[in-house]
Amino acid sequence: MKSEHEEIKMWTPTTAFLVLIMIFGLVIMVYRLFKGLGAVTNLSDRFPWGLWIGVDVLGGVAMAAGGFLIAGAVYILNMKKYRPIVRAAILNAFFGYLLAATAITLDIGLPWNIWHPIVMWQIHSVMWVVAIHVVLYTSTLATESSPIFFEKFGMEKAAGFIHKIIVPVVLFGVLLSTLHQSSLGAVYLIAARKLSPFWYNSQVPTLFLISAVMMGLSMVSFETVLSEKYLGHKADIGILSGLARGTLITGVILFIAKIWFLFSGPGIPAAFNGTMEANMYLLEMIVGVVLPIILLSMKNVRENMKSIFFVDILVISGVLLNRLNVSILGVYRDQASTGFSYFPTWMEFVVTFAFIAFAIIGFKVSVKYLRVFPKTEAQH
Amino acid sequence: MTNHWADLRNADVVLVMGANPAENHPISMKWIQRAKEQRGAKLIVVDPRFTRTAAKADLYAPMRSGTDIAFLGGMIKFILDNNMYFRDYIVNYTNAPFLVNPDFKTCTDLDGLFSGYDPKTRKYDKKTWTFQLDANGVPKQDRTLKDPHCVFQLLKRQYSRYTPGKVSEITGTPGDVLLQVYRLYATTGVPNKVGTECYAMGWTQHTIGTQNIRAMTIIQMLLGNMGMAGGGVNALRGESNVQGSTDHGLLFNTLPGYLATPTASWTDLATYNDKNTPKTKEAKSVNWWSNKPKYMVSYLKAIYGAKATKDNDFGYNWLPKLDEGQNCSWLFLFDQMFKGKFEGFFAWGQNPACSGSNAGKVRKALSKLKWMVDVNLFDNETGSFWRGPGMNPKDVQTEVFMLPACFSVEKEGSITNSGRLAQWRYKAIEPIGQSKPDSDIMNELFFRVKKLYQKQGGKFPEPIFNLTWDYGEKDAEGKVKEVNTHKIAMEINGYHLEDLYDKKAVPPKLIAKKGDLCASFVNLQDDGTTSCGNWIYSQSYTQKDGKIINMMARRDKSDPTGMGFFPGWAWAWPVNRKIIYNRCSVDPEGRPWDQKRPVIKWDATKINPATNKPGVWVGDVPDGPAPPLAAEGGKLPFIMKPDGVGSIFGPGLADGPFPEHYEPLECPIQENPMSKQYNSPTIKLWYTKEGQKIAPEDIFASCDVRYPFVATTYRVSEHWQTGVLTRHEPWQLEMVPQVFIEISKELAAEKGIKSGDKVMVSSARGNLWAKAVVTGRLKPFKIAGNTVHQVGMPWHFGWQWPADGSGGESANLLTPTIGDSNTMIPETKAFMVNVEKM
Amino acid sequence: MADTKPKGVLVDLTRCIGCRGCQVACKEWNERSVKKTVMYGNFTNPPELNSECYTNIRYIEQDNGGVPVWSFVKNQCLHCKNPACASVCPVEALKKTEAGPVTYNFERCIGCRYCMLACPFYIPKYEWEKAVPWVRKCTFCSERVANGLVPACIKVCPTQTMYYSDFDGVRAEAERRISQNPGKYVSHIYGKEEAGGTSWIYISGVPFETLGFNMAIPAQPYPDLTWAYIKKIPAVIGVVIAAGAVSWAITRRNKNMDKEE
Ligand SMILES: Nc1nc2c(c(=O)[nH]1)N[C@H]1C(S)=C(S)[C@@H](COP(=O)(O)OP(=O)(O)OC[C@H]3O[C@@H](n4cnc5c(=O)[nH]c(N)nc54)[C@H](O)[C@@H]3O)O[C@H]1N2
Ligand SMILES: Nc1nc2c(c(=O)[nH]1)N[C@H]1C(S)=C(S)[C@@H](COP(=O)(O)OP(=O)(O)OC[C@H]3O[C@@H](n4cnc5c(=O)[nH]c(N)nc54)[C@H](O)[C@@H]3O)O[C@H]1N2
Ligand code: SF4
Ligand code: SF4
Ligand code: SF4
Ligand code: SF4
Ligand code: SF4
Ligand SMILES: [Mo]
Repeated sequence: MKSEHEEIKMWTPTTAFLVLIMIFGLVIMVYRLFKGLGAVTNLSDRFPWGLWIGVDVLGGVAMAAGGFLIAGAVYILNMKKYRPIVRAAILNAFFGYLLAATAITLDIGLPWNIWHPIVMWQIHSVMWVVAIHVVLYTSTLATESSPIFFEKFGMEKAAGFIHKIIVPVVLFGVLLSTLHQSSLGAVYLIAARKLSPFWYNSQVPTLFLISAVMMGLSMVSFETVLSEKYLGHKADIGILSGLARGTLITGVILFIAKIWFLFSGPGIPAAFNGTMEANMYLLEMIVGVVLPIILLSMKNVRENMKSIFFVDILVISGVLLNRLNVSILGVYRDQASTGFSYFPTWMEFVVTFAFIAFAIIGFKVSVKYLRVFPKTEAQH
Repeated sequence: MTNHWADLRNADVVLVMGANPAENHPISMKWIQRAKEQRGAKLIVVDPRFTRTAAKADLYAPMRSGTDIAFLGGMIKFILDNNMYFRDYIVNYTNAPFLVNPDFKTCTDLDGLFSGYDPKTRKYDKKTWTFQLDANGVPKQDRTLKDPHCVFQLLKRQYSRYTPGKVSEITGTPGDVLLQVYRLYATTGVPNKVGTECYAMGWTQHTIGTQNIRAMTIIQMLLGNMGMAGGGVNALRGESNVQGSTDHGLLFNTLPGYLATPTASWTDLATYNDKNTPKTKEAKSVNWWSNKPKYMVSYLKAIYGAKATKDNDFGYNWLPKLDEGQNCSWLFLFDQMFKGKFEGFFAWGQNPACSGSNAGKVRKALSKLKWMVDVNLFDNETGSFWRGPGMNPKDVQTEVFMLPACFSVEKEGSITNSGRLAQWRYKAIEPIGQSKPDSDIMNELFFRVKKLYQKQGGKFPEPIFNLTWDYGEKDAEGKVKEVNTHKIAMEINGYHLEDLYDKKAVPPKLIAKKGDLCASFVNLQDDGTTSCGNWIYSQSYTQKDGKIINMMARRDKSDPTGMGFFPGWAWAWPVNRKIIYNRCSVDPEGRPWDQKRPVIKWDATKINPATNKPGVWVGDVPDGPAPPLAAEGGKLPFIMKPDGVGSIFGPGLADGPFPEHYEPLECPIQENPMSKQYNSPTIKLWYTKEGQKIAPEDIFASCDVRYPFVATTYRVSEHWQTGVLTRHEPWQLEMVPQVFIEISKELAAEKGIKSGDKVMVSSARGNLWAKAVVTGRLKPFKIAGNTVHQVGMPWHFGWQWPADGSGGESANLLTPTIGDSNTMIPETKAFMVNVEKM
Repeated sequence: MADTKPKGVLVDLTRCIGCRGCQVACKEWNERSVKKTVMYGNFTNPPELNSECYTNIRYIEQDNGGVPVWSFVKNQCLHCKNPACASVCPVEALKKTEAGPVTYNFERCIGCRYCMLACPFYIPKYEWEKAVPWVRKCTFCSERVANGLVPACIKVCPTQTMYYSDFDGVRAEAERRISQNPGKYVSHIYGKEEAGGTSWIYISGVPFETLGFNMAIPAQPYPDLTWAYIKKIPAVIGVVIAAGAVSWAITRRNKNMDKEE
């Protein structure tokens, strides 16, 4: 296949290592299919959901929020500035969703029944809503990113057609994402009295949405920097600063919302009561919200790629931590009350890493062989 | 049970002491709870540990294992001191007013002994345990109860020492709780309040087991609770059909229907009858046992048929006889086996390697046998004893055979519950594999033994050759192909072998035709014209208007009196009477003591069709048709007693006419606070024979610092007995998977034991591991000024299953070879152990 | 069979003697196997419900001024009137039936285990060790109930701890017992309000909160919690599409103006 970016070396030691993890992960997945979840995970009746749901699904989907944000910005709000990264963002989201979907498929007990929600409707179920969204949004993302492939194979007509309908498609994607990101939070609305009040409140869907936006922006920024570093693509500091500004704004909104719910929920002092939950809450707040806001409010930080990158890591970790808190640590005390405990098995970790490895390699391959980033003269 | 299960609902106070019905007789709790809910009845539980029954109690009293007589003696004293007894009742219906031989001395007089004790033979000479007789040979009475030699005054004297303080000192029961129990139970000493007592192994399995129950019967008589609906002394019986099997002569000393096993000195039937038939000069006494010769002869006719003739004493001498003083109860048998006195042994439907007290000794005893046959559903610790812990199969010479028996649901027959109710059960499924009903195994065995006798001859073949065995169609060789249990049931009920006429009527009236099934034991004869396998079951499979009726199979749920007798449901012995001694439930005029709770009632307005005279009993089947005591021809209520009254003074037992507190053989205190007599004076001590070396298996350790804790053993609902039926059952095992020991929080703290820890429990005889259950349901006792810890464990486990040994061993590795003076039941409810964290 | 009113059960804890006949009967009827247990110090065994055990008795020891108090609490699905488990199930594998039982249909289930997270009483259990796992929980013996039989556990109970009838009768009986036996019961019917009401309700002589009952369960039907969100979705769709369209229109005009400039 013709490479778009000859300079990207396919087989680096890192890649080899990632491939190895992927293969290892694949073996475990097959093993899981034959031996059941119990053989591979540490899940139990009191911990029905674990690392895969917490990180692979909740985290993965939040990370993929960049897709709808950038697509929306470019195609609906006409923010041309971000056009150079729109393809990467969408492709990333596409990978993100594919992975989340795979993770769900792997995590549910009866993967071969994964299609059931499409025909067996239960509109009262948030899970059903989520399932339908995943299906629709993954298709949407496929459509949004299809021109890349069409171009690759010289199907200009098809690409042109997609381009014609891209605005409604993107709008549809924005809609689905809004619903979807919040729905994942809504999943936990039923966990009243189970999920710690640090995270449980009636607006958990909204908080999920806001934090997903913050995460999505940081993620795009993070990837942009990374591809500059490893894929030799020149990043535009203007784009990064723009994203950082967006992150800052959402961060402030998130901060206000979270403080409000802390105040109206468990109360501000509760955050300092030293419990595991309080500490995790503080950690998540400081790392993912407070520090980024403080840093990003400084202009020199916003204009320095390295510091932006650092803040991106903070935000991503913060939101991931939030998803982990909601899905595992926030319900831990309640679930462990009868002597149960949960710590993922090494196999759960390997599978999680395998997903990440797949995403990285998938992206790398795409960048190398597809026109993900617009060609810049400087490179040729 | 003197009463029956459903009758528990009629009680005002239920005393559960010596049993744990919620766990071992769950259905009984339905009726107890109904009494609580519908009558506001109170439930009292007295048990060393707080059980699931105690959880439902209104009042719970803890007490140290083995001290029930102290507890109950204190109650007797309380009732007497506070005049809470039912005076009319005891004066009329018990021997309370009887005058006792002036030479008789109570334990109060002789510091723990009654008059007549011989320490050498460890036996009482009972010659002073008698009544003063009047000129007619009838016991003298003082109906004012004032004579110092009357039973009532002797009772007072006997229990004058049983003060609450003394009782607490012995039992460890807190004084206020003790008095609460006494007060509450004594409230039933009025005519319209009734108390019932439920006991089982918690009372019997002691060196003083029989006297525990005696003490309660005294209380029940004092309070007028015998014969009453919601009253009685109720043995909650054990193995599903243990009532039936004792009725049918399971014990070595009884024939079916509680006729005595002949002894060597009763050389002919006349002597047997003479020695066994009680006589009385009391005109108002029914003395039902005077009919014994009829029952004996009918029994002999049942088993030897036409071969039993008047000339050969109806085959009396074909019956096996006991040597004088011979005791063939469990402990003796296994002791003899241990000493190598047996060649062979049938372990038929039992698992002595786990159930036998001092199981280590039992297992060794089995290894002394030449052969053993294990008749069971499963292999078990007994059948596999030779490969058990501590056994070297190479050294064991015993040849073991396994005969597979089928389970109760795979065969048809009757089963008798504690309420004497015989219920017919049908076969639900076919036996699995080669297994057979026990009766067919027995049939096979009988036929082969008989054939061997025929072929080879042998000593004394008559009992074999002359036995009737008409239990079904026979094959060419004359063997019954398959035992028909209906035939057995009919043989038990009895037949008329000749036409029977009522000779008093003119002209004589035909009562029954030759070949008819007997209508009841009333028609049994001592001349060989009737047969009856077990007189108390006569009427169970009978005939009415030419139609044969299996009374035990009846399933009518109606309750015409509203008292819960359910006369149309199955059949209870005797003659479908639900409450025995029910003539005590009415006053001498025949009016129920409690009008609201009539068991029977004398209706003088109705004409009795049998006698054509006015006056009939209505209600339950009365204890004999005679009119009430005060009426013309009236009879005393205790028809099975020669004197016709209840025995507050009971000279029949080996260890005294009144119960007295003695310490269990293994106990935690140096001295008996009640008297100088430490242990029961009449128990058989296995190790005192002069010159006899004590086997290490027979060692005891009382007040031994190495074994400081009082232990008891018991059951849990989730398992059955030695667990052979439940340990193979995963559902049961899941709930109680391992042998455990319940210990108090205090003892646990002292020993550094936590719940779930594995601990080693040891006694002078053996040891086993158990999982600790540390609980607030057991508390240390204050006994004679010292803190005494009580522990307890179930005995449902054994090494053989679960196969991985995860269940643990039988608690009987700890228990001693010592038994009750009267019954020889082993003392598995009170012994001493040590507990150490492993 | 004429009686088609929804069924309910009153569990009267004052009657339970902890014999566990129900625990075994349930296994028998539902053909459940076992999971290996040990004696760990409490008689509750298995310590928690699991996929092979739909009901257990919890043994709770307390102390009342030196006198032990020992309670036996039967534990199984409460068959909520508005079951959280069924409301969250994406494929309607769990369903509240007319007759009362909340039933499970394996043919629909995808194994997402959201029901497990949702149930406020931690009832649904999973067959973790199986490659084709089912969600497992008390079925209210729905096949028996449908055929006019009482549930297996109720059938064997020697003390009639459970009163089975149509639900209205059950609630009335609970109220009757409490009002007619002053002092015997705590004045609370567990399940009357909790989680919007359950088909199995409890009365007790010992305060529920000391018996491991979760008193914090809100009276609000659980499905409302998520429905509050889901019912907003159409509005959200409208708003997002409108806002998107409008901003697109505006920004395009701006773009065009840009071009014109
Ligand atoms: N589930 C179940 N039921 C059974 C059986 C079984 O194995 N399992 N076995 C059946 C048989 S064969 C029998 S004989 C019966 C036995 O029925 P129970 O006699 O009720 O059985 P146990 O549990 O041996 O003992 C009863 C209680 O006596 C208490 N106890 C111990 N020592 C003393 C004492 O000195 N005084 C008093 N007052 N109480 C004491 C124990 O703590 C125990 O709670 O149960 C029958 N029912
Ligand atoms: N420490 C201690 N020891 C005790 C007691 C105690 O309380 N504490 N209790 C004592 C009491 S009360 C009793 S009754 C004894 C019981 O002692 P055992 O009778 O020796 O014990 P079980 O386990 O009941 O044994 C009955 C056997 O019969 C088998 N079986 C069941 N049905 C049938 C059948 O239809 N036919 C045949 N052939 N076999 C069948 C069962 O599998 C089982 O192995 O234990 C006594 N031992
Ligand atoms: S005999 Fe059977 S029905 Fe009766 S209480 Fe025991 S187990 Fe229950
Ligand atoms: S108790 Fe739980 S599993 Fe049962 S119906 Fe209610 S929510 Fe569903
Ligand atoms: S696991 Fe099955 S029953 Fe439970 S919510 Fe998911 S699909 Fe429904
Ligand atoms: S109702 Fe049926 S499934 Fe539920 S606990 Fe009772 S027996 Fe088990
Ligand atoms: S069967 Fe009845 S009494 Fe026994 S544990 Fe179950 S609910 Fe309680
Ligand atoms: Mo027994």
